[in-house]
Amino acid sequence: MNQETQVFDHIICPFCGCLCDDIRLEVQGNKITKNELGCAISKAKFLSHHEDRISPTIRRNGTHVEVSLYEAIGRAVEILASAKRPLVYGLSSTENDAHREAYKIAETTGGVVDNTSSVCHGPTILGVQESGEAAGSLAEVKHRADTVIYWGSNPQFAHPRHISRYVRVQGEYIKDPKADRKIWVFDIRKTITANMADEFVKIEPGKDLEFIGALRALVRGHPLDFEEVAGVSARQLAEIVEALKATKYGILFFGLGLTQSTGRHRNIDAAIRLVQDLNSFGKWNMMPMRGHFNVAGANKTSTWQTGYPFAVDYARGYPRYQPGEYTSVDVLARGEADAMLNIAADPAAHFPRQAVKHMSTIPVINIDPKRNMTSLIAEVNIPAALAGIECDGAAVRMDGLPLYLKKVIDPPDGVLPDRDVLRMIHDKLKKEVG
Amino acid sequence: MELGKLNQEYIDAVAICEIDKSTFAALGVEEGDPVRIETVLGSVVVRSSLDRRAEPGVAFIPCGPYANVILDSDTLESGMPGYKTMDAKILPAKGESILTTEELLKTMTEGV
Ligand code: SF4
Repeated sequence: MNQETQVFDHIICPFCGCLCDDIRLEVQGNKITKNELGCAISKAKFLSHHEDRISPTIRRNGTHVEVSLYEAIGRAVEILASAKRPLVYGLSSTENDAHREAYKIAETTGGVVDNTSSVCHGPTILGVQESGEAAGSLAEVKHRADTVIYWGSNPQFAHPRHISRYVRVQGEYIKDPKADRKIWVFDIRKTITANMADEFVKIEPGKDLEFIGALRALVRGHPLDFEEVAGVSARQLAEIVEALKATKYGILFFGLGLTQSTGRHRNIDAAIRLVQDLNSFGKWNMMPMRGHFNVAGANKTSTWQTGYPFAVDYARGYPRYQPGEYTSVDVLARGEADAMLNIAADPAAHFPRQAVKHMSTIPVINIDPKRNMTSLIAEVNIPAALAGIECDGAAVRMDGLPLYLKKVIDPPDGVLPDRDVLRMIHDKLKKEVG
Repeated sequence: MELGKLNQEYIDAVAICEIDKSTFAALGVEEGDPVRIETVLGSVVVRSSLDRRAEPGVAFIPCGPYANVILDSDTLESGMPGYKTMDAKILPAKGESILTTEELLKTMTEGV
């Protein structure tokens, strides 16, 4: 085997929605030995890619028995072919071509197909559908933004290089990133990001909607007859509004603190309208801080292929869309799904108890590179190659920019990319159910 | 999390509850002691951890299976459970142990 060190430049990190595209890797034989420029999460992802892998298993008498890939696929097809209401879920940690095959499976079986955004930025999409999208690119932020807001988002923790790559860095029109640009954090608790920001505004839990409403009223010039809103004094509110109005190019990055808290999509709806209002004074955009590296891609591919970004039901043979009804947590908590195909996600670790409980009563087919909580309760486990490390593909950055993920090493013997596994399942299914 | 999801590192990272100094005093527990978090849906034991920047009244549990045990599945027709806001009680749980992910999954799937 060739043990010489190979160096790969401009590799994309397939972990978070930043999709940093400047990673430098050193590879010896078929092992990644060094990750330069990546954050700690990125280093862990690349350097431990071979650990904790799953092998094809089928559950027999309550225990997981190792089988061949073909047997596992055969059993998966059996389960899907006999299911009346299968749920296809996940997709955010794999590449776009795999998504296409997953939608085909949902269409062929008349199932529901949903991606992880229903439990992260689904409300963002609902807000956008209601009020429009004020979108811009990360490059614009770097070169122009003089006000950067993180709302309910803790990038220093979840997107470690977001600030260093796009905010605390010199841009075309921002010569001194410390003096020319201000970072604001709006959150219910003082996070590590809040600690390093220029301004921190503490909002009472669950009061974001009131707070945005108050900001909007002041931006539009209506006086408030309250002493404080959401724990923020009228004086501080007025100061915030002055700063927002004086901004030349502002960006509102928002996280799950806004989408998952009381108000959900109404919060986003209100935030979009605030950004629209602020556009009378300066240029303003907003951007969701997408977590999984290709959850933005899952929304795009789902829209291309089914017409809708998530929560799609094919029971009638054509796609229908209804968040709250065809979203995975709802389909499971109602006890509706009678089989589940999970791809590149860990719902057993992330869904509320009632949904997980139902998952444990139905056959779950789990396709993932690694062991996780879903693999423990799965009826069938099928290993997959790690997209962006062991196979190529396309993924979409949080600002909507598609990027091409490269393959740097071979997957373990006999392990295929998600798209090939899904295609094999679909081809076999087609033969069985027509 | 990229180190795998079934090992001790993952449990150490997500089976915690961050609270402020005065809450430790009120509960009479030391940092690292187990605490029981209770909501209308159930309860779970996690390790307490001091957050110097925190203030009384707000506690934080990272997104993960331990938080989900006590989480409502009702999405209010949005598809999104209320991950970020729930009312909860924190109680000292001296002597109780934190479940492994396997045990936790068992209580989730077999419990009421
Ligand atoms: S910030 Fe995100 S995409 Fe960039 S290196 Fe870290 S984990 Fe990877």
